[in-house]
Amino acid sequence: MFRNGPWPPAGMGTRMRFHRLAAWVLAGLTAVSLAIVIAPGASYSRQDREQLFAAASPSHPAGTDALGRDRLVRVAAALLLSLAGASAAAALTTAGAAAVGAMAAFATGAVRWTIMLLCDVFLALPWLFLLMMVRSALPLKTSPARSAAITFMVLAALGWPACARAVYRGVLELKNADWMLQARAAGLRRSQTLHHVVPNLLPLLLPQFLVSVPAFVIAEANLGALGLGIGEPLPSWGGMLLELDNSAILLQTRWVYFPVLLLILVLLLVEAIMVEA
Amino acid sequence: MRKRVLAMMKWPARMLSILILVMTGTTILVRFAPGYLSDEREMDPRYAQAARIELAEETSRSHSLLQMLSTEVSGWSRGDLGRSRQFDIPVQELIWPRLAVTGELLLRSIVLGWMIAISGSMVSGVGRNPSMLWQLPATLLLAIPTAAMATLCLLSGKGGPVLVMALLIAARDFKFLHRMLRKAWLEPHILQARAQGIATSRLLVAHVLPSLAGQLAALASLSIVTALSALVPVEVIFNVPGLGQLAWNAALNRDLPVLLAITLIMAIAVTCSGMAPGRRPEWERA
Repeated sequence: MFRNGPWPPAGMGTRMRFHRLAAWVLAGLTAVSLAIVIAPGASYSRQDREQLFAAASPSHPAGTDALGRDRLVRVAAALLLSLAGASAAAALTTAGAAAVGAMAAFATGAVRWTIMLLCDVFLALPWLFLLMMVRSALPLKTSPARSAAITFMVLAALGWPACARAVYRGVLELKNADWMLQARAAGLRRSQTLHHVVPNLLPLLLPQFLVSVPAFVIAEANLGALGLGIGEPLPSWGGMLLELDNSAILLQTRWVYFPVLLLILVLLLVEAIMVEA
Repeated sequence: MRKRVLAMMKWPARMLSILILVMTGTTILVRFAPGYLSDEREMDPRYAQAARIELAEETSRSHSLLQMLSTEVSGWSRGDLGRSRQFDIPVQELIWPRLAVTGELLLRSIVLGWMIAISGSMVSGVGRNPSMLWQLPATLLLAIPTAAMATLCLLSGKGGPVLVMALLIAARDFKFLHRMLRKAWLEPHILQARAQGIATSRLLVAHVLPSLAGQLAALASLSIVTALSALVPVEVIFNVPGLGQLAWNAALNRDLPVLLAITLIMAIAVTCSGMAPGRRPEWERA
């Protein structure tokens, strides 16, 4: 393999330190958000009717929204909800993709063809469009907590095909690896070799998981901005993006940009951690 | 000869299977969604009665899945793509004018996006500048949800739907292009040619780009998927009367024939674009 220069390449140490710093900053942000949400008296849904569109003040450090709700508490809750939901959905989708990909790799011709065809069917449709279609077909009286759960479940249910293809290729490579052939030649059955395959898939699954987290956060934000995301009064990035549609609010306070800026920061931090993995 | 014919038939057959499955899957998905037989007008006493009558008619129409599918298929075979439930006109009349709008938007944004991505990756991949400097804007753009980017552009009055989609495509493609070009630029034969003093432009045109043709074609198909994914929020936020806006409207109003038609058009676009780069050698051999 041609390599230009010595190993490790110059600047790798700095990059690693940067990635570690990103992980610490994200952990810090999550801890601060948790502290804000569980602080006594903090509520993401309590309305202060006397202070609609209020600017930053000691009682509301990031101002209030159109209904007089504390923006800082809502943003903190949205961050926690979004990261927790996206991580859970990413874990589900990665596990599902691992199962489907491994099944396709170990299956016979017809089963493999069917599984790959199913992947192609899902991949033939733009993701957000499919999400929008499924999300919009839910009952109108869905509760906010259920709508949040459904949104992330739908993300998990639709996010697996690309990951499954990557896992399929990875498992095929492992299946044809020398150590696997030797194990098979030594008399191990397919089922016995499987528990050697799974640990070797982890380096492939971890990046897939980390790629899915920001993708799901962005998808939830986009859905919310279209009015198809998590229901009020639960706070979500998408719901807060909807505030930007109202130019009257923008004239009242610039704090409406705060959720967008924090969302971008969180996604950049996740991206930085992802590069390390 | 028979093998060649079979190889040539394999992809169209696969594409047809995908389209049939997409059509069946979409119908099942929408029909059995818990909210299919509900209408937001039911919440308004002024329209509730009319909405309930329409829903009762819909219930009787959608009693059998097979009947629903045959209705959709017959609509496609007639060429009118079925009848919109929301507007009560043939779907074709809704789709055609909007198809041109969306097609133009997609074409312009993909061309602009590729121009930005190729220029950026050539300068960053071939030049001596640290790649971090070039990757930062791309990473930043990818971290902004399309809806947020579109809203911010709309609020600032700078940039339109084409720019938003082009930036998204450019940011996504730049990462791949940069890596591809960097790798090709460090190939031993290119290093040798560079050492001999052959001009950069000649190297790029005669050696680097032709060797990347297959990968570039695959990336182009990925750009179409990226653009289609961004289509709905961009068209809705900028109020562009295209297919994305129509799909959003149809999804909110549970207009199955319109949804199905747009879903299939998108599936055809994505499947065809994915087919082009992957199957060219087989076609050439055939």
